[in-house]
Amino acid sequence: MLKIWGRATSANVMKVLWCCDELGERYERIDWAGPFGGNDDPKYRAMNPTGRVPTIEDAGNVIWESNTIIRYLCDTRHGEALYPTDPAKRSAVERWMDWQLAHLGGAVTPLFMGYVRTPAEKRNPAALEKARIEAIPVIQIAEDALAHQGTQYLAGNSLTIGDIPVAIFMRRWFAFPIERPRMPKLEAWFDRVKTRPGFVAHVAVPMV
Amino acid sequence: MLKIWGRTNSSNVMKVLWLCEELGEKYERLDWGGQFGGNDDPKYRAMNPNGRVPTIEDNGNIIWESNSILRYLCTTRGNDKLYPKDPGKRTLVERWMDWQLANSGGAMTDLFFGLVRTPPEKRDAAKIAKALRESGDIWGIVERHLAQTGGPYLAGSDFTLADIPNGIHARRWFGYAIERPNLPHLKAWHDRIAERPGYKKYIGVPLS
Repeated sequence: MLKIWGRATSANVMKVLWCCDELGERYERIDWAGPFGGNDDPKYRAMNPTGRVPTIEDAGNVIWESNTIIRYLCDTRHGEALYPTDPAKRSAVERWMDWQLAHLGGAVTPLFMGYVRTPAEKRNPAALEKARIEAIPVIQIAEDALAHQGTQYLAGNSLTIGDIPVAIFMRRWFAFPIERPRMPKLEAWFDRVKTRPGFVAHVAVPMV
Repeated sequence: MLKIWGRTNSSNVMKVLWLCEELGEKYERLDWGGQFGGNDDPKYRAMNPNGRVPTIEDNGNIIWESNSILRYLCTTRGNDKLYPKDPGKRTLVERWMDWQLANSGGAMTDLFFGLVRTPPEKRDAAKIAKALRESGDIWGIVERHLAQTGGPYLAGSDFTLADIPNGIHARRWFGYAIERPNLPHLKAWHDRIAERPGYKKYIGVPLS
């Protein structure tokens, strides 16, 4: 059975759990990292030199980097609907996964650290306001793309693994106690993705 | 002919140019971004809502996000060596591409902007020192991986897409006038890939 190392509260682990649900894939998950420790365990580091979660083991393959894991799962579990094989269509999915890693994550994480991982009395309001202002044009990119494309999802009119990483970080964005400018296409998209059972089970959980 | 928008001193544009050399792919490139402007040009944003470089056009397909471009080009040009078709082998390449993206902000960027894009009299020495320490830790992951696996390349015995994004950032690391921690496997890997024509032509140029 597919084995997943990683605490269920990790955004990157959530990608894998949600993707497994979309694929109907069963798995065994081991609580790892965060309060469970293990990042510097020598055996874990031998599997995954970054020490981060998730890592998976499948049919003798040890795989790390969450976006790489979900691409692998789709390619090995007939997940063409989630991850098309046509190269151009495939790139339209992959760009959103790359964008989450390179841009969205960095915009949302300072707010996450401030509002979720820092007690209220220790927050730096000026820094958080700066982070909010800087995040807005990044979030706007997804709004602009959806508006321009006129599609229901980021890479077309059905859910793909392009939507999964972005949705996990947007779940955070929409939950912070901040003012957000209206982004009607993005909000409609988010209302759509949050109905997926995989989102409900693994992403719509309290942020810690 | 393949069309590429992007200035040659962009690390992400360099990825595509280096790959084109590896593939023997001819292209037409337009100077775009940075000192050439165009990031907010409405026609450019209609192609690439992220507004960054590179973007490519190939057979009517518009592709953005540099790592997605690399995957697309290998797939459409039938290059299995740089980007294996076997799903398990493929993950050995992709994880390093994702890893580069996930580490592209933060310390690596602070170091580059601090040392290359900021005149000496305006540099924040403390910020640069912190970025240097953290970058050393980040590169330490690659060092340990190469020491453990024997390389000689990031994904194993062959040069692959894994080596391109990381090679570009390693060139920067080794190009700074700073004291670096001793990472001999990283250095040996870098020096090996620096022999490749694609590196010599597009990467081994002065930092700007």
